[in-house]
Formats: sequence, C-alpha cells, structure tokens
Amino acid sequence: MGMPTADSQPILKVVDLSLSYLTRQGPVHAVQSVSFDLGRGQSLGLVGESGCGKTSVANCLMRLLPDNGRLTSGQILLDGQDLVPLSEEEMRHFRWGRMAMVFQAAMNALDPVYRVGEQVMEAIEAHGVEGTTAGARERVARLFRMVGLDPQLMERYPHEFSGGMRQRAVIAMALACDPAVIIADEPTTALDVIVQDRLLRELKGVQRELNMSMIYISHDIGVVAEVTDRIGVMYAGRLVELGDTADVFGAPMHPYTAALMSSFPSISGEKHGLETLPGEPPNLANPPAGCPFHPRCAYATEECRREFPSQVRRGSRWAACWHPLTDMAGAGK
Amino acid sequence: MTNYLIRRVGQMVLTLFLIVTLTFFLVQAQPGDYATFYSLNPDIPAEAREQIKASFGLDKPLWQQYLVHMKNTFTGNFGISFGHYPRPVLEVLAERLPRTVVLFLSATAVSFYVGFFLGKAIAWRRGGVLEYAATISGATLFTAFTPAFALMMIWIFAFKLGWLPVGKFLDPLIWRGAEVSANHVFSYMLATAAVFIVFAFLTLLAARKLGRLGAGRTPFLVIAAGAAVVPMAWAFTGVGYLALDILRHMILPIATLTLISFAGTMLLTRNSMLETMREDYVMAARAKGLPEKVVRDRHAARNALLPVITSLVYSLIFAIDGSVIIEAVFSWPGTGMTLLEAVRSEDLPLVMGSIVFIGLFSLLAHVIVDVLYVYLDPRIRYQ
Ligand SMILES: Nc1ncnc2c1ncn2[C@@H]1O[C@H](COP(=O)(O)OP(=O)(O)O)[C@@H](O)[C@H]1O
Ligand SMILES: [Mg+2]
Repeated sequence: MGMPTADSQPILKVVDLSLSYLTRQGPVHAVQSVSFDLGRGQSLGLVGESGCGKTSVANCLMRLLPDNGRLTSGQILLDGQDLVPLSEEEMRHFRWGRMAMVFQAAMNALDPVYRVGEQVMEAIEAHGVEGTTAGARERVARLFRMVGLDPQLMERYPHEFSGGMRQRAVIAMALACDPAVIIADEPTTALDVIVQDRLLRELKGVQRELNMSMIYISHDIGVVAEVTDRIGVMYAGRLVELGDTADVFGAPMHPYTAALMSSFPSISGEKHGLETLPGEPPNLANPPAGCPFHPRCAYATEECRREFPSQVRRGSRWAACWHPLTDMAGAGK
Repeated sequence: MTNYLIRRVGQMVLTLFLIVTLTFFLVQAQPGDYATFYSLNPDIPAEAREQIKASFGLDKPLWQQYLVHMKNTFTGNFGISFGHYPRPVLEVLAERLPRTVVLFLSATAVSFYVGFFLGKAIAWRRGGVLEYAATISGATLFTAFTPAFALMMIWIFAFKLGWLPVGKFLDPLIWRGAEVSANHVFSYMLATAAVFIVFAFLTLLAARKLGRLGAGRTPFLVIAAGAAVVPMAWAFTGVGYLALDILRHMILPIATLTLISFAGTMLLTRNSMLETMREDYVMAARAKGLPEKVVRDRHAARNALLPVITSLVYSLIFAIDGSVIIEAVFSWPGTGMTLLEAVRSEDLPLVMGSIVFIGLFSLLAHVIVDVLYVYLDPRIRYQ
C-alpha cells in the first residue's frame, strides 16, 4: 500500500513449494519445489497429464489439504503475506475473501440440499462483503447475470441445473467476494465441447473485466493456450517449463511440452501428425532418478538419468531440461 | 407431494387391512373360541351376553364373524374388554396409547439426537478419546439384554441412589386429593408439547425465510424463551406439581431406552458422515472460508442426516415393539403393558385392539418419516 512498486509486485508468489501425501506405500511427492509468480491481472496456465500434481498445487494454495497431505517446504506469498504459517482460523479469511477456486469436480461442488443462490449468499455473508441480506441478494443476482444465468435461478436446487448451468453457478460463487486471485481447476473438463468453449471465453471475459488474477489448470494444453498469458508445464510434481504462452507455443523448450502439444492437434488449427505420448507419468511414490521424464524422452542421455536438470533460461522463460529444444529441434522431431 | 401423500395413505389403509385380518385369524387359531370366552366370563351379565353375541355375530360361521369384525374395526368398534368390563376396548386404548406414544417418542427423539450428535462428533475428529469411549460403551449397551439392563438402571437410580421413582406412571401419595385426573393432566401436557413443537418449528422456519446466516443464534434464543414460558404457565394452573410428578416418572425409562439404543444411530451417523465429508461440496464449503462448525453442521452433517433419517422408522418401530418389555419392567401403564396383561388374562378383544393400534402406530411412523425425508431432501421433494 502506497509503496511505489506495489503494482509491479506479483499478487501471488510461490516459492519452493513441496507437498507429500503420506500413504502406506510411503510418501507420495505430489509437488516438488514448485516456484512461480502470478502478476496482477495476469492469467497463468498449469498443464500436464493427469496425475502430475496440478490439483495438488491448487489445493496447497488454498491450504485445503487432505488429512494425509503435508506441506514440506515453501512459501505462498499472497500480496506479500505468507499463508503457510497461518492458523486455520486466520486462513479462513483468505479463503474466498482473497483467493477463490472453481473446482475440478464443479458438478459436485454444490451442496444438493440448499438452493444455489443460498450457497453463494453463504460465502458473501461469511466474509461480510455486503452489509444487509438484501444487498447480498442483489449481489448474487448481479453475479448470476455476469455468468449468464437468469437471477431467478437463485431459488432453484443444484439438481435442477444442467451441467453447464452448475458450472456457471460455481463460477458465480467463486466471484462472490471479489477475490484477487481465482484458481480454476479443470473447470470445463466435464462439459461438452461447445459449452466448454463458450464458458471459457466468458470466464476469460469476466477475469479481464474484474481485473482478477487467475490460475487456470487443465490437462488440455490447447484450452490453456486460449485463456492464459503465461503457461507452466508440470510433470511428476515438478514445474518443468514456464514462459509466456505465445513463446511456449511458438517453440517449446522442454520435450515434454512438445509432446503434449503434438498429442493435442487442435492448437492453432495445424494438423500435426497426431502423435500420442507413449507411456504414462511415473508413480510419484517412487519416481525415477534424475529427470522424471527421461524414460519417455527421445533425447534422454546419461546425465538425464542421473541428475535433475537445472533451469535453462531464455529471456522471461525457462525449462528444466538437459537438452532443451531449439526452434529447429522442435520442428525436426 | 399431494399425490405422494395420497398414495402413501392408500398403502397404509391396505396394510392396516392386512394387519387386522391377520390378527383376527391368529387369535381365532388359538385354542378355545371367542364366543366361549365371552360366555364364560362371570363379569358379564346374562342379558348383556346375548346382546354382545348378536352384535359381534358370535353365533355365526367364522367367515361371517370375520366380516362383522372387519366392519366393527373400521368403524372404530373394537368391542368390550373382558378385563375392564364394561369399558369398551377403544376407551381403554385411548387412555393408554398416548402414554406409550409420548414415552417412546421422547425416548426415540432423545436417543436419535444423542446418537446423531455423537456420531457427527466422532466422525469429524477421528481417533479421539471420545470416539473410543462412545463406540465401546454404545456397542456394549446396544447388545445388552434389555430387561436386565432396565432392572439394573432401576436398582442404581431408584433403589441405591433414590434419585428417581421406581416405576409406574405417577406417585399416588402426591396425587391424593388432587382434583383432576391423571389423564386430564397428561392430555394437557400433550397439548403443551404439541404447541411448543409447532412454535419451535415455526420459529426455525421464519428464521430461515428472513435469515441471515450470521444471526444464527436468535431463533434458538426465541425458542429457549418459549421453553422458559412453559413452566411458568404451568405454575399458574395449580397442577404443575402433578405434571412434574409424571415427568419424573418418565426420566428413568427414557434414559434407559436412550442408553440401549443411541449406538445404532451413532454408528450409522458416523459412517454416513465419513462419506459426506469426502464430498466435493464439503471441501467447497471449507474453501469458501466458512467457519469449521458451519462446514460440519450445515453441510457435512446435514447431508449425512439423510440416510440416518430412514433408519428412524426402524428405531420407532423397534421402540414400540420393545414397549411390551420396557413398560412391564417400569410398570408403565401404556399399550405394551396393556397388551401383556390382556394376553395373560385372555382378554381377546383388548389383545386384538392393542395389536391393531400398535400396527397403526408403526404405519403412521413410517409415513411421517417418509414425509420428513421428502421435506429434508429437495431432490425427492420436486420429483
Ligand atoms: N489424498 C491423496 N493421498 C495420496 N495420494 C494422492 C492424494 N491426492 C492425490 N494423490 C496423488 O498425487 C498425485 C498428484 O495428483 P493430482 O494433484 O490430483 O494431479 P492432477 O490434478 O495433475 O491430476 C497423483 O499421483 C495422485 O495419485
Ligand atoms: Mg486434477
């Protein structure tokens, strides 16, 4: 506040975040040393195959971990304030008030026994955003209109909504307290393509309009390309590439990013010969040594098997790879 | 909803018809016949005997007797009790049924509440001391032999400690010289309870309609105030001490029933709660920054309640069935004890009447719980 640099400071700064789930088979290292910045009004995409730890990162940010989840290191600086050491009660005020979430399973994020409007009101009242009940109702109606829902639907129950309507309601709910950061975890995955597309554009519109910062998570790199300014690629609990969306798509540095792109042919309309990425992500209870991608990588060498690569920087982007692709190599493969 | 109710009531009438039929033939299948019992009873004067015979068709063949019995039952004529001659069966039951219903309804309500509360708490904090204590004692009591446990409760709290009366419905010493009958006082107590429940329900309903979630305490304060008015109002009637006496006699049986049956609801709630706690909407509620208690009660427990409510039917029916034993042990003069006495003294009309009424009550409980469920689950409400 009042500091001259306030606006150039990122709203969210994640530093060396690591999370393990304790299981009978030993700890599952679902997030390992993840660091990134999210600028004000910016949107950051997180992509990676299912099981790469994207949802885990989102849940860490909200500090919504299951009983067996342990944050083993890191800082989550929201507007300069570290959320990691906060007590549950202190954290409660940051949740939704400053940082809200659109859940992966948005279909089930609405409680079946309460009216949809009531559930949005609940968040507004818990944070005292509006002084009066009438004010809160008016706000819900406004939010409903913003996401393209008829305000009269407030009085309906979730089971009376279609999938797309529920998703809109969940987005309205996330916007309820004017959060600074909104985390959308695969918000459209369960919907059919047409609804998905329209919703995506609307979400993007709302984010721009309200000047919120957004983290958009998806396994579909094409979707992420459409809505984000920057993109982070996750593999086996690690961030392996981070850069401006245009750069990353123009010329991926990490072979994994390139592989992801070629397995989703829709990007920029070009038809690559649809290559599917063979194999699957490693078991995070027992990841391979060195670069976790090496068993599936065409460029893997001895050092890839031995040691996790350090970051290779190119301007505002980087990749963690021993043999980052140049433009040529990306096209030649 | 209306359609649903009509359908349910239709089913109920049909089931009741079956119950009446079954009881009739079961009683007929007993050794000795109905007509002889009537004619041998020395309490019944000869001229009355002929009249009874005619009106019940006792001189006719069995199938005609059955038809007459059916007609009588559905017009509310259960005949004259042998044991309580010349009081009609219906009158005896009208006096006793409310006692049973009140006792077992209160016991079921208390036991349900205790079970639900504990189940919710132990699911929310897994592995605590409470979970250990509640599960072990609950399961032990649940499997205890009911009459023995009831006797033990009487022995401890009535004989050893002397805190509570040994049994029965009231204390004759207190009632000596009272100007009103026990039934009179009891029906006023019933009316008070009914009014209070409606009041509490309306308050909650109004609170929900107006409601700000933050102001969650106000409706409960209003209800508490209402609860405070009740004893004051009774104090003015001058028979408050008599009502208190009846209440004192209810404590031990209710406590006993609660102790032997809360574990069922508790374990069911616990399991149901563990399921709902994994649901996304509970995570969403927490993500919304709602206070821990709101997440637990308003979201997790509220949804966990649904499957548990269904079991309430069985608890109620189980309680009413168990009334024969419990009422006998506590000398509580309700339908259970009436049935037992009637069976022992071969008071057949009273036996049939009691069974029909217990059946009727079970059916009613079923319908009420169904309606409650429909009210609690909007997914069913609007189908
Ligand atoms: N509660 C949990 N206990 C143990 N392992 C978990 C738990 N939640 C997620 N995991 C594991 O952590 C890894 C990352 O999961 P997740 O964050 O859901 O990935 P993504 O969202 O990218 O699909 C997976 O291997 C998953 O099996
Ligand atoms: Mg996920």
